[in-house]
Amino acid sequence: MKRLMGVALLLLAMWGQAVHAEDKPFAEKRVVLQISDSDPFKQTLVLNVASNLIKHYGRDKVDIEIVAFGPGLRLLFKENANKGRIKGLAENSGVRFSACKNTIRNMSKKLGEPVQLNGHAVPVSAGVVRILDLVAEGYTLVKP
Amino acid sequence: MKFSKIALAAVAALGLGTSVQAANWLALQGTEPDNAAERAKLWGFIQPEYQVTDDTPIQAGPWAGQRALFNQQRPDLRSTGGFNILRARFGVRGQGFPLDSGVNYFLLVETGNNGITRGGGGNLKVTDASLTLNYIPGARIRVGQFKYPGAEEGLQAIHVFDYINFTTVTNQMLLERFFDGDGSDPQNPNRPNGPVGAFRDIGVQVFDIFKRGDWEHSYAFMVGNGNGITRGDNDDNKDFYAYWSSERIYAGKGARRQELKLFAWLQSGKRTLTAAGAGEYDRDRWGLGATYRKGKWRGAFEYMAGDGMIFAGSDGAAVPGSLNNAGTAVASFNMLPTAKADGWYAHVGYMATKKLELDARYDTYNRATNIAAAERKFDTFTLGAQYFFNKKARFLLNYEFRDAEAPNAPATAGPNKILGGMDDRLSAQFLIIF
Repeated sequence: MKRLMGVALLLLAMWGQAVHAEDKPFAEKRVVLQISDSDPFKQTLVLNVASNLIKHYGRDKVDIEIVAFGPGLRLLFKENANKGRIKGLAENSGVRFSACKNTIRNMSKKLGEPVQLNGHAVPVSAGVVRILDLVAEGYTLVKP
Repeated sequence: MKFSKIALAAVAALGLGTSVQAANWLALQGTEPDNAAERAKLWGFIQPEYQVTDDTPIQAGPWAGQRALFNQQRPDLRSTGGFNILRARFGVRGQGFPLDSGVNYFLLVETGNNGITRGGGGNLKVTDASLTLNYIPGARIRVGQFKYPGAEEGLQAIHVFDYINFTTVTNQMLLERFFDGDGSDPQNPNRPNGPVGAFRDIGVQVFDIFKRGDWEHSYAFMVGNGNGITRGDNDDNKDFYAYWSSERIYAGKGARRQELKLFAWLQSGKRTLTAAGAGEYDRDRWGLGATYRKGKWRGAFEYMAGDGMIFAGSDGAAVPGSLNNAGTAVASFNMLPTAKADGWYAHVGYMATKKLELDARYDTYNRATNIAAAERKFDTFTLGAQYFFNKKARFLLNYEFRDAEAPNAPATAGPNKILGGMDDRLSAQFLIIF
């Protein structure tokens, strides 16, 4: 039963990502932004890059997904200091946020309790795999 | 149980648990951005300076003709002008365990030449060593040695202070010197028995910051030893501190956020003297004020009052340890354990260009207002300029017009002749933050 639910959740997450991608049918640029550093400045930087891309190309002309894994996953913690900006980018500009499940599992083990994620973060099986898949689909990888 | 859940929900509704980094000194010094802080961020600042007065000697009294304490350069009191590394601090802060923003820490060490390192021996002193627990909504807990919640000049980060020297009221009434006696022993210079208080204490503080629209409200309560830094308590009395501020935020963030801040504070404690004048004395302070920064303008005002343990300079304004001309007594630092005092300051700054700020400050201090013979009044008008090389480096130039009088004594009396010898002071300082 647990396995069945896990598969269902995974399918739901994948479906969610697919639906998100379809949210921008007129996008001329597709960008995947990687954040995997522990440096807090990188958190600000990756969000700035996303904002600047939206500003430059326009909300509907650029499709952006931020993939967080490793120490970079802290960006997508529920109480991250940048949660207001994440909410703005997700709800107003259609930016998607993906969180690496491997990292979530490892960090939860270190933390001793489940990591609480931002409501806009969508867990993906592995951050690097997600990036490779997006690149294969034609996305440009940028690691600020 | 039900009540606590409701209380937690109410507190959560006020927006707690959010990141707090602003021109709010409680937040800037006691917290880190949630899940966006480094494990260990190295930082610090250096303040080389030059100060000079005219070296007017003492004009009257038993030490007439000798060097006047108020015309000497601190902290050495051996010359009326010279270069000094006033402050050179380095430290580290952050979240030791980056996955949990519930705990953060702050460590800062002073290596400059000032009242912190001069008192109590050694050339290196820990000024701040604290940790903050952020687990209880509405009640963050900070433990260790850190700046107590209080007057703006003391609580604010010193590396963003807009002048070189403190106002007289802050310097004399708030910047605490710790002595064993009151200075009445004619053969004892009564030098400080440790570092200056540096507006810090060792203890526990409960505080938090509440954001409501464009406003940010803060409170803090603290209990501490009331015996300064780098040492334990010297009696069984504790100091109590309370602080409140409300800030209307206009724009920006950090130490120079554009805002209007209203604040009030009080502290209450006791001090124990063990030498001349031995006994236990109250030491109470309170104040209220406002700061403002918007566009090219900034300004501030604060009124403060004190009751008990009022620092009273030195005998005849002589440098402590100096033998009088008759050879019968040495000058000492003095305390007035039961005196009262009050004072206020107001200052403005204007960014004349993107790099240059022009500053003006007036401050006044009435010392020992309840003891006619000991009452002294100090007035200082400071003109200043700050040149910003960049956000982390600047040059400050100050000229202080300094006046003092004994208001209850004739103009020709000894105290007024002595105070008439108080020189103006020219100060220049470089500051670099890293």
